[in-house]
Amino acid sequence: MSSAPGGAQRPTGPGGPPAAGTGPADLVERLHDDPTVADADDLAAELSAEERPEPAGPVANVVIALVVVCLGVATVVGSFGQNVGSASAPAGGTWPFLIGVVLTGLGLALLPLARRTADAEKFTRASLLVVAGVATMVGFVATIGVIGFEIPATALVFVWLRFLGRESWRLSIALSLAVVVAFYLIFVVALSVPIPHLF
Amino acid sequence: MDLAPVLDGFTVVLEPTNLLYCLIGVVIGMLVGVLPGLGPAATIAILLPLTIGIDTVTAIIMLAGIFYGAQYGGTITSVLLRLPGEASTVVTVFDGYALARQGKAGTALGIAAIGSFVGGTISIVALSFVAPLVAGFALDFGPPEYTALALLGILLVSTISSGDRIKALVAAAAGLLLATVGRDSFTGAERFTFDNLNLADGLDFVPIAMGLFGLGEILHALEERHHAVRAPATVSNVWPSRKDLRQSSGAIGRGSVLGFFLGILPGGGATLSSLAAYSMEKRRSKTPERFGKGAVEGVAAPESANNAAATSSFIPLLTLGIPANATMAVIFGALLIQGVTPGPRLVEDDPELFWGVVNSMYIGNILLLIMSIPLVGLFVRILRVRATVLAPITVMITLIGVYTVRNSVFDIGLVIVFGALGYLMKKLGFDPGPLVLAFVLGSLLESNLRRSLLIFEGDPTGFLTRPISGTLLAVFLLVVLGPLLSRLLARRRATSDRPAKEPV
Amino acid sequence: MTVLVGFVPTPEARAALDAGIAEAARRGEGVLVLNSSRGGAPVSVEVADEDTLRDITARAERAGVAVEVRQVTREGEVADEVLRVAREVDASVIVIGLRKRSPVGKLLMGSSAQRILLDADRPVLAVKP
Repeated sequence: MSSAPGGAQRPTGPGGPPAAGTGPADLVERLHDDPTVADADDLAAELSAEERPEPAGPVANVVIALVVVCLGVATVVGSFGQNVGSASAPAGGTWPFLIGVVLTGLGLALLPLARRTADAEKFTRASLLVVAGVATMVGFVATIGVIGFEIPATALVFVWLRFLGRESWRLSIALSLAVVVAFYLIFVVALSVPIPHLF
Repeated sequence: MDLAPVLDGFTVVLEPTNLLYCLIGVVIGMLVGVLPGLGPAATIAILLPLTIGIDTVTAIIMLAGIFYGAQYGGTITSVLLRLPGEASTVVTVFDGYALARQGKAGTALGIAAIGSFVGGTISIVALSFVAPLVAGFALDFGPPEYTALALLGILLVSTISSGDRIKALVAAAAGLLLATVGRDSFTGAERFTFDNLNLADGLDFVPIAMGLFGLGEILHALEERHHAVRAPATVSNVWPSRKDLRQSSGAIGRGSVLGFFLGILPGGGATLSSLAAYSMEKRRSKTPERFGKGAVEGVAAPESANNAAATSSFIPLLTLGIPANATMAVIFGALLIQGVTPGPRLVEDDPELFWGVVNSMYIGNILLLIMSIPLVGLFVRILRVRATVLAPITVMITLIGVYTVRNSVFDIGLVIVFGALGYLMKKLGFDPGPLVLAFVLGSLLESNLRRSLLIFEGDPTGFLTRPISGTLLAVFLLVVLGPLLSRLLARRRATSDRPAKEPV
Repeated sequence: MTVLVGFVPTPEARAALDAGIAEAARRGEGVLVLNSSRGGAPVSVEVADEDTLRDITARAERAGVAVEVRQVTREGEVADEVLRVAREVDASVIVIGLRKRSPVGKLLMGSSAQRILLDADRPVLAVKP
């Protein structure tokens, strides 16, 4: 790049001055005269500039609505398994029956809105991180009874730091060990919590 | 008004343990408000195991401190970094950040601190008068009134929640459903336990709250791609001038009053009050064009309002036993763990608890005011810690913390299940707050409903015959049908307009 | 062809900036100042603030060198980012600042400068203040 001397470009990107249209005065304009809590939440999300996956499509919304309907129906069926009773003689199944009816109704109410709702998010590659995160937790609870909490905890923290958080090897190893030692000292030594432990 | 219990409350507050936990709560609250990610509801949920070993009053003093402390912490990042730490401090960004860019960050923070202090204090004083009145009035409540009140509370929180209204109601219904798991208190029959021994006594509130709010939020945040990072900010002149104070005094007063009243309503609370106070200030100002460019009123009003609202949102919980928002629902759960059932009798039967908590808020507000400026530098340093480092530590605190409640590995499994559920809910647009709220109210609602039906001998219109429950139910129906009606009216107006617009 | 300067608000990197500008002037090239910061937290000490950015452009202009400043947020390590950008713009030389480290510091925290030096596929100019 050999442009003429003095041809400097404006610094861009994060940390610099806000882009046009998002200065505080502009934000004030955007937050019209009767803002709602939802507006505030949206604005907060925008200012924090965390990027979230895109909204899910109408198919997903229909699936969600159907799941709710199924849950409602299952509840109603389950309530018949107990004594449903009646209005004048309520029994164990009355309340679940009512809840089931409401759930089914709400699920059906969600169906026509499936095309318009945009608050559900698509599952993306980043969602695999969540699966991995849950897997580490499941691994933790599955093994804690057998080998104590120290090793599963170290493994969990290490995986979260190194693989989910992309921290350096050194930090991941050092911090996972430090955290487990700290937990050991606090919970096992100081508080004598009867958590299964190996050492 | 009988002053003796109020003064006794101060004696309770000034005990060293309670002062210490008040300090701890307020500092943790500020920290939580500063750090993006976990909010006060999630933090209180994660710290629930901590409250089990300590005295009830001490525990609630700490939890309350976390809640109103978070309102102040969020301001720091709003002003210095244009990053609202809490939804209730979004509006502070406008003028607060503008002031910071003019080199007057200290002024903004100082005004915010003073406004928060005044707002909180005015709210506590008003609470001290209003709460016993409400509790006294509610002593006459019977099962029908409680049913209507619980239903209304759940409905209001769902409608003002930050997601789709119908989905919030689904979440609430799911919460009510989860509350039925276990043994039916009336008949002793087991419901929805699927023959699992661990479920026979019902689902415990703590793993549900910790999972849905704590783990759920952390898992949800894993999917975020991080963008703007800011350079560390510095704060120089740390006190507003006398002119600034005089200019904002009106805004502080008005914001406090507005915040007090809006905070009592279930739902938006602190966020709604900050928005309303800002709008009101801007509208009544003779020079509204200054707003957004560094008007001190633009910082003073929302800050006073959100602290006032955070304080007054305790009223429904402590006087009626109805939580006004998700955080109050978690505190409700904390009280249940301690064996205290919040309700109108609380003020009379346990004045030490009631006045101890209320009076601790005075101390908490003073502590916030004193510590807010010195700690700013520390908090900005803490903001450098990456979320990827905080997340696994918080996860471990949650997993091991939940174990300590009942020494049960099953609970760890339960918190993971609810963590996954919380993630899915947030992902798919369902606010977990109404679920937790409905869960804590579930068994109360059901037993009151069944008793009411027995009283009315199966006739649901009986609710309308009693004045209080009738009014509450009327409001309930209004809130439910209101939006439907307005949509129908709008459509009818559109169709009646059309013929006039057709070209001839 | 550009001179790539890896920049953070430290004395070492400022020295690297000056050296990089001088090098670009000598070669008759432009300079790309890369300010890469680790994402994940609201605040990072690696981010150059507005005053620093203005200062950078001023210095380059004084030396009569064309300058582009890039501020990016990264997820991984800085060495990877610097090398990636170097490949992208086909930098003629990478200029970085070197910090004196105690043996313990070297053990605990590693060195991104070392990684850049070892893994770069083009000349690297390491500068001490």
